[in-house]
Amino acid sequence: MDLLLEYREQLLAGLVTTVQLALASLVLSVTMGLLGAWAKLSASRAANAVAGAYTTVVRGVPDLVLIMLVFFGGQVTVNRIGAATGLWNYVEISQFAAGALTIGIIFGAYFTETFRGAILAIPRGQIEAGISTGMSGPLLFRRIIWPQMVRYALPGFGNNWLVQLKTTALVSVIGLQDLVYNAFAAGRSTGALFTFMAAAFVIYLALTAVSDLGLRALERRYSRGVARA
Amino acid sequence: MTDPALRVENIRKSFGDHEVLKGISMTAEKGDVVAILGASGSGKSTFLRCINLLETPTDGTVWLKGEEMRMTSHRGERRPVDHRQVERMRSKLAMVFQGFNLWSHMTVMENIIEGPVHVLGTPRREARDKAAALLAKVGLSDRAEYYPAHLSGGQQQRVAIARALAMEPDVMLFDEPTSALDPELVGEVLAVMRALADEGRTMLVVTHEMAFARDVSSKTVFLNKGEICEQGAPADLFRNPQTEQFQAFLSRMN
Amino acid sequence: MENLLSWFPLDLALIAENFDRFLYGVGVTLGLTFLSLALGGAMAVPLAVVRASCHRVLNPVVWVYTYVFRGTPLLVQTYLLYYGAGQFEFVRNSWLWDPVLSQAWWCALIAFTLNTGAYTTELLRGAIADTPKGEVEAAIATGISKRGRLSRIVLPSAFRRAIPAYSNEVIFMLHGSVVASTITLQDILGVGRWLNGRYYLAYEGLITAAVLYFIIVFAITRVFRWLERRYLRHLNRRREPIARNIAPPMGVK
Repeated sequence: MDLLLEYREQLLAGLVTTVQLALASLVLSVTMGLLGAWAKLSASRAANAVAGAYTTVVRGVPDLVLIMLVFFGGQVTVNRIGAATGLWNYVEISQFAAGALTIGIIFGAYFTETFRGAILAIPRGQIEAGISTGMSGPLLFRRIIWPQMVRYALPGFGNNWLVQLKTTALVSVIGLQDLVYNAFAAGRSTGALFTFMAAAFVIYLALTAVSDLGLRALERRYSRGVARA
Repeated sequence: MTDPALRVENIRKSFGDHEVLKGISMTAEKGDVVAILGASGSGKSTFLRCINLLETPTDGTVWLKGEEMRMTSHRGERRPVDHRQVERMRSKLAMVFQGFNLWSHMTVMENIIEGPVHVLGTPRREARDKAAALLAKVGLSDRAEYYPAHLSGGQQQRVAIARALAMEPDVMLFDEPTSALDPELVGEVLAVMRALADEGRTMLVVTHEMAFARDVSSKTVFLNKGEICEQGAPADLFRNPQTEQFQAFLSRMN
Repeated sequence: MENLLSWFPLDLALIAENFDRFLYGVGVTLGLTFLSLALGGAMAVPLAVVRASCHRVLNPVVWVYTYVFRGTPLLVQTYLLYYGAGQFEFVRNSWLWDPVLSQAWWCALIAFTLNTGAYTTELLRGAIADTPKGEVEAAIATGISKRGRLSRIVLPSAFRRAIPAYSNEVIFMLHGSVVASTITLQDILGVGRWLNGRYYLAYEGLITAAVLYFIIVFAITRVFRWLERRYLRHLNRRREPIARNIAPPMGVK
């Protein structure tokens, strides 16, 4: 316990990085998810195909492989393009950027499915009722589709977020000084790896438990007026 | 004198403070078809479910061919003394449900032989032969390898009846067997039940089908608010209802 | 052909030369993934039955296990076991140390098993809870014993209902198995990283790994599609084929 207190700043810094990374990638993945759902539901064949390929690749390749590809390979690619075109000099992609970008894109695929399912879950009749009331497209989206979509998407959203939060731990493998990395470093230098990894374990558990409770409260709020199954 | 096929004495059932059954006693001799009528909430389904202990009655006793289903109290909760005895007696008290309740992951044939093979220990071959005969009887010989979800409601209910028959029950309990069916499918199920009555099966039928009660039953019982309000031969009962409640019920049903 | 190959941005010859290593990596990945799935799955069946029951002591105990293992990253679980166990002298002196706890492979297997066991338990619990009540009542009314109801009615139908969700669990366990490469094991990703490090490459090792994982996921998806066709045909025909839900089943819920 004393050891943990001694290293509390390092752990705290790691925790902050972890949360920042998770939130940054969440913003990206929700954006990607909305775009993906729109593409999957659109009438355009090309958009369907692109969105389909996107979710298939993400499902087919493990997160860490993609993170490493973006971090190591992306770096080289960006600099080769820079050298070839002369548009920019040597650029370094940070671990944080690589991690946020990759995890954001990966979970964008999961959010795509969540949002697509949520939109499909809205009873057609309600949309038709909106149209027949004379609502315009944007008004229909804002007043009828969006509020209901939020409700149907919440369980999937919560699930994705919890997984996403845990997935950020993988970015420590490419050297981002997040919670896992800092705990591991402290553990290694003090010879108390169990103590520090256990601390990381408990902190992650606290993060997911708090998220879980928050999400449940949100779900209760948004499921008003809906019969419980 | 032989024991009656089924005798129940003073069956009571409460859910919390609410007493649904207020002491029901009745006897069914072998070959009796007892139609149990009553408005919704009269406790008729609960009564049927108390007989085979799908609901544990708060009080009362059930005898099947003279054998008492032994009950005991444990920390204020009634429960059977011997669950093996209960299982054995249930296997002789086949039930047909309102919602069919076929096992959805089994084919029609598997549904019918499940009880005989795994409860009664009938050899599989013999059970299959018998099941085929029962399917012929309910008019579904060509559906043996279908899954329940691929059958109509009326067909599912006929399979459920075949499944009940396969146990060679002493008494058959029907819990509103036609209530979940589309009107045009009711007839096929009632026809099968009529045939069973003609064979001399002992049946307790909770139903809303007045014509069935009047024409087929040997005894009709009218339940009201958890009590037997009127009972007797259907011919008398339907011609001269004795109580206001039964009169009101009949006029509502017509 | 020569020209074409030299134009291609990846050094295919180098990949081909080291392909036997990648095959070894495939063996390690598949071995760890499917062994842990088998062990975790075997463990999950009784635990799910407990979770679906209302046992006053066991149910909360199992719930704590599944909550904890689903609420923390697999990477941290694996590190805790592999790096953490050695902190204690009594562990290092125990008979388990040399053959098991000091071995990366065993630590990975144990951590993966506990992890997938937790997810599978909850997934099965859900499937058991979804058993139509009437089907259980029909079994009771037929006189089938409690045991027979579980083994012949409830579990067979729950296993079938769980197939689509379980296919996700299998794929996510495969994804999760890359954690093995972080504790020195030469799984597919481990070999890919080794190749990149050995020849100072940016893509070859990782892209080969990505392709191999992709092929395995494709094969798993195919197998499950077949399983669903075979074991879920008893369900009503639906408009859409069995939900191809790609949402990860790893949340705490």
